[in-house]
Amino acid sequence: MPPLMAIEFLCRVADVINGYLGGLNEDSIKDNFVIVYELLDEMIDNGFPLTTEPNILQEMIAPPNIVSKVLSVVTGNSSNVSDTLPGSTASCVPWRTADPKYANNEVYVDLVEQMDATINRDGVLVKCEINGEVQVNSHITGLPDLTLSFANPSILDDVRFHPCVRFRPWESNQILSFVPPDGQFKLMNYRVRKLKSTPIYVKPQLTSDGGICRLNVMVGMRNDPGKTVDSVNVQFQLPPCILSADLTSTHGTVNILSNKTCTWSIGRIPKDKAPSMSGTLVLETGLERLHVFPTFQVDFRIMGVALSGLQIDKLDLKTVPYRFYKGFRALTRAGEFEVRS
Amino acid sequence: MFPQFGATAESLSKASTAVFRIGTDAHLYDDPDDVNIAPLLDSKFDSEKCEALKRLLALISQGFDVANFFPQVVKNVASQSLEVKKLVYLYLLHYAEKRPNEALLSINYFQKDLGDTNPLVRAWALRAMAGIRLHAIAPLVLVAVGKCARDPSVYVRKCAANALPKLHDLRMEEHASAIEEIIGLLLNDHSPGVVGAAASAFTTVCPNNFSLIGRNFRKLCEVLPDVEEWGQIMLIGILLRYVIARHGLVKESIMFSLYNKDHSNLDEDEHYVTSKEDAGYATEKTVSELTRTIFQCYIEGPDEYLSRSSSTIKVAPKLDESQYTSCSNEIVKILLQCTSPLLWSHNSAVVLAAAGVHWIMAPKEDVKRIVKPLLFVLRSSPASRYVVLCNIQVFAKAMPSLFAPHYEDFFIHSADSYQIKELKLEILSIISSDSSISFILKELQDYIRDPDRRFAADTVAAIGLCAQRLPKMAITCLEELLTLIRQEFLCGEIRSLDGEEGVLIQAIMSIISIIKLEPAIYEKVIIQLVRSLDTIKVPAARAMIVWLLGEYCSLGEIIPRMLSTVLKYLAWCFTSEELETKLQILNTITKVLLCIKGEDSWTLRKIWTYVIELAERDLNYDIRDRSRFLKKLLSSNLESQNVEEENGESQKKDQKRVVAECIFGVQTKTSTVPSEPINDRFYLPGSLSQLVFHAAPGYEPLPKPCSLPNIDQYDGSDKSDLDEVDDSGTSGSSDEENASDYSSERSISGSSEVSGSNETVSGNEGENNDDPLIQISDTSNVNENQNGGDHAGTSGFSDLMSTKSLESWLDEPSKSSKGSETEQSGVRRSSARITIGNIGSRIKPKCYTLLDPANGNGLMVNYSFSSETSSISSHLVCLQVLFENCSLESMFDIVLIDEDSSKSVDSTDQISQAAENTVKSHIDKPALVSMEEIPSLEPGQKAKRTLLVRFHHHLLPLKLALFCNDKKFPVKLRPDIGYFVKPLPINIEAFKDKESHLPGMFEYVRSCTFNDHIVKLNKESNSLTEDTFLVICETLALKMLSNANLSLVSVDLPVASNLGDASGLCLRFSSEILNNSMPCLITATVEGKCSDPLIVSVKVNCEETVFGLNFLNRIVNFLAEPPVTHS
Repeated sequence: MPPLMAIEFLCRVADVINGYLGGLNEDSIKDNFVIVYELLDEMIDNGFPLTTEPNILQEMIAPPNIVSKVLSVVTGNSSNVSDTLPGSTASCVPWRTADPKYANNEVYVDLVEQMDATINRDGVLVKCEINGEVQVNSHITGLPDLTLSFANPSILDDVRFHPCVRFRPWESNQILSFVPPDGQFKLMNYRVRKLKSTPIYVKPQLTSDGGICRLNVMVGMRNDPGKTVDSVNVQFQLPPCILSADLTSTHGTVNILSNKTCTWSIGRIPKDKAPSMSGTLVLETGLERLHVFPTFQVDFRIMGVALSGLQIDKLDLKTVPYRFYKGFRALTRAGEFEVRS
Repeated sequence: MFPQFGATAESLSKASTAVFRIGTDAHLYDDPDDVNIAPLLDSKFDSEKCEALKRLLALISQGFDVANFFPQVVKNVASQSLEVKKLVYLYLLHYAEKRPNEALLSINYFQKDLGDTNPLVRAWALRAMAGIRLHAIAPLVLVAVGKCARDPSVYVRKCAANALPKLHDLRMEEHASAIEEIIGLLLNDHSPGVVGAAASAFTTVCPNNFSLIGRNFRKLCEVLPDVEEWGQIMLIGILLRYVIARHGLVKESIMFSLYNKDHSNLDEDEHYVTSKEDAGYATEKTVSELTRTIFQCYIEGPDEYLSRSSSTIKVAPKLDESQYTSCSNEIVKILLQCTSPLLWSHNSAVVLAAAGVHWIMAPKEDVKRIVKPLLFVLRSSPASRYVVLCNIQVFAKAMPSLFAPHYEDFFIHSADSYQIKELKLEILSIISSDSSISFILKELQDYIRDPDRRFAADTVAAIGLCAQRLPKMAITCLEELLTLIRQEFLCGEIRSLDGEEGVLIQAIMSIISIIKLEPAIYEKVIIQLVRSLDTIKVPAARAMIVWLLGEYCSLGEIIPRMLSTVLKYLAWCFTSEELETKLQILNTITKVLLCIKGEDSWTLRKIWTYVIELAERDLNYDIRDRSRFLKKLLSSNLESQNVEEENGESQKKDQKRVVAECIFGVQTKTSTVPSEPINDRFYLPGSLSQLVFHAAPGYEPLPKPCSLPNIDQYDGSDKSDLDEVDDSGTSGSSDEENASDYSSERSISGSSEVSGSNETVSGNEGENNDDPLIQISDTSNVNENQNGGDHAGTSGFSDLMSTKSLESWLDEPSKSSKGSETEQSGVRRSSARITIGNIGSRIKPKCYTLLDPANGNGLMVNYSFSSETSSISSHLVCLQVLFENCSLESMFDIVLIDEDSSKSVDSTDQISQAAENTVKSHIDKPALVSMEEIPSLEPGQKAKRTLLVRFHHHLLPLKLALFCNDKKFPVKLRPDIGYFVKPLPINIEAFKDKESHLPGMFEYVRSCTFNDHIVKLNKESNSLTEDTFLVICETLALKMLSNANLSLVSVDLPVASNLGDASGLCLRFSSEILNNSMPCLITATVEGKCSDPLIVSVKVNCEETVFGLNFLNRIVNFLAEPPVTHS
């Protein structure tokens, strides 16, 4: 078996257990060990994956929820194993629950983007790209056939699809045509390369002399994306040759952990004035200057904007004659956003 | 309860999560045994059973052995509740192998469940039944799988496909064809989910049975995008192998253009895109050669390829044109077409598998479509990122231009792990091109200042590599490195930063590698480095600079002039240098002395003498030795210039001088890029072997191109099958048709060979009969011919394959065992394995008396058991009988016959007939086969006869009648259980494997004392030639082999033991029981002092309990016997 297959499968197991237990840690596994056993038994058979589709799994083995918990306490009967085989195991769209029924038919499409950027020691933007996901949350009765098209598909550098996406329409017209799974799922991943600018700037300055290093970091908005940038966070690892650090900031809090990780949580960047952090670092005795420099990892979040510029053109529903509610959202987060000093 | 978990699950978190734990099974996990589980299991309420089973599961997960509940749990298989069933299955599969007999009890319930109307119940029953893995029920499982493979439910069919590898694991050779037939049926299934699972079964069970694929090729390609992702990975591999085996490689692929051409016309080749695009690559030829190696490795497997290329014959077996196909070939087109959309899969393993197909099969212009998907996959989990990078590395090595524009993707993030950083650096240095090098260099400069100094050192090495690849950039790179060295001076004073030393050393190494490219240009750099000797304090760095000086001492104008000054400086600081620097100074001064002729030579000689004198008084052995060696070597050189010598003497001196010059050879020649022999091993993209750089178990290179001849033009071109299987409900019937088609085909190919007389032989063996490589000696003895059985599955197919591939396929087992042996030796460090040579010749089987001359009128009959085995039947034991006439009269008509048959049988003719009977039946077996009558025996004459005897019991003596001069002497032949076995030559791995299958009740141990070696040791005590350990080993092995028909597997000597303590010495023997071919393994472990009687504990692993115990007793008895005094 190829090693990547094993890795990929383990990731899938982690995802499924996460979905079931709302977290993957020792306690959650211990508390639900029966479910975990049953899940693993269903997901892998003789070393080969058997059923990995979350929808089918949820029909076969009921995830723990409040209702079932209360019921089990009251009645003492707690079977979470379904008695019948989910119908979708036989269908040609195994990811779709057999016949869901909803009073309100709705589809939400979210563009969730992560910005990877590297700014080198000269302050030049070396690399800037977006890794995005199209997340869909669909609640539609019957067997819908959706098509989603983008206004500017040409900016997409590369894509990866959920198995439900048909390859042909994408190849010919760059249209996503699919029968969606029920509930939340990841429709596609995409990548947009070679972006020209970042929404915020981080400018670190380090000057060292006589065994002491002065550190100054400035953070600010570059070109206003029109939405607020929040959850801004700057994190860096102090080099091992630094004995102590004394850092203060004009905005937000600075936290230095024992493993020399320094976190500056800024939160929302104020409009009027760019926040900055400054202070001194004391070097190891005998060391005059700093010869290694930390890398600053920046985190931020912008609601309502897809920085890649990708725009959804329209979403159509075929085969099912209902009216349905469509919702679109966008979000950009920092991915591997690094500033070297 | 669990101290190791105590820290994480602190009371605080317990209290806070207590609310969430209500209704979960947490309480069952916390105190699984706070109630009595046994009565709950017997309860009539499902909920109570459920609770009990959950408690058992909790205990299992906490590492307790709850196998003692097995009988009670098994009963609950009958429960109607699916949850109870599921839990019981979980328990059952966990313990079935430990309690095989009780697990058999559940079979009836499974059989019943298989007929259930609920598909889930059927599927689970099948899964559990196959999962138990007992040989006893394997035929039942096979029937069940066959039935479920035609089940209307997709899920059940899928489970049937998954059950096939489990059956295959049980090694049921006789059912191999049935299993493959089912695979063929499932591959033809109309549901993609089933096809995926069937593909996985195909890969494990019969990866080379391409006839199954050929039939469905088109359909499989069509269905590929709809198959589940896991099945896709397997199916892609199968399709690729099939196309190569069937149609060969693609002419337009990179594989062809480099694989099948000479180096010379490579550059003229217009198809050769890379050479045109990236003319800047200095190592163009190396790259193309590398590509050749890579693809050769894909097809042959690296071990084979490397072993051939290292030998003198470096001629690759060229593939002729016929083994290639064009990409316009329909089949290749389909393959590429159906795999290309998979490059968009969200499963990274699928992407990599599809990329592998395109890499090998796609035309060169199209290979670049794999680049972006591969780079996109890099964004998934860190573990998969590493795997993908490893594969990209190989692709980039073979075709740097592919990834050259995407260098940004290999820029390093601080969060990457060290392994990933290392890989990215290597890829960056491979793909750097004239257009990208400036960006890459800029980036690399940033990395040098990374706090991780090991990474910084690697970066410096990467800069050196870039410079070597792109000579145009060499100067820029060199400047960069030199500034780095100057910077490092600043911190050179500080010893505490050990990481810095690594960076500095690496920097100088990189500089040296650049200088080597063209030393003449870089004279100034050498001078600069030599000047910096004052500031560089790291010994290894200093040593390298000193070496550099010696190497290029005669280069250019300035260096020779500054030599004396520099050497004076080196001599001055010699005493304060570290070891490596001192050695290098000695070498350098000697080199300089040898190649500089001029006015300085006198000064130089003085310096040399001074340094040698210092060195001779050094504290270190190495330096003293080196100085003496140099002194002797060069003394002549120095003297010859001063004093006139005699002719003979001077000639000798000249020789010395030549030697000296050879050793410190003046390397004025400019060394070009060292084209290192390509020793990397390459494995198929995406395979585990490619990741670990050795053939992982189960790795198979691509099949030989066109090894599958065009006899049967399937390729699924007959569409009739496809149209039939549209209807989901009635698929079973059409499947049946296909199956019957298939089996009839087989029988046609096999029927001509099956001979009617072999009634007991299964069809497979019949097919083997025509194969001279596999000989079947006995028809009643299927297991004996395990090898033949192994191949039986594919042998029906052997007539389709070319002889070449057949040979390679027969060679395989030996190779794989070799590989595992080396692995094994790496693991076992504590003991050494020795071989005892020529022991076979020294075996003297023991002699027993059959008839005493006193009782037999002067006829003496002795017998000994022979190590030969009968070729007639495996039930017969061979004896050597020695007749000797001790009387003074001659004797006539001596014959030995069975006591019982002697009553009725008179003539020898009938006895020989009886020999045939023994083969036929086991019941009325005459004890004795044939013995040629001895017509007469003169006084003092000896006669030898071989006797084939069938003992009724391995302990009871056999009554025989000896006729001589028409007189009957009743004699008793005592069996020796040691010869009821025959040697089973296996290697240690196979031994251990077999041993692990015979644990517990099949293992018997007894100890005894062993004295033989003392006699021998005493005898040889005066001659110290022999090692006492060896003597013990030999005597023990000899004793074993002289008393039983065994084969010596291994002798393990304890390495760490004290001298004279033989404890831990371990000898292994293997044998198989004559009449049923069951393996019987003997391990003798020694304890005690060499000179004292040793305690030998003998362990026998044997499936036949009674035999094993008796055998053990016999071994212990003869080991304890006093040694036979050799005449």
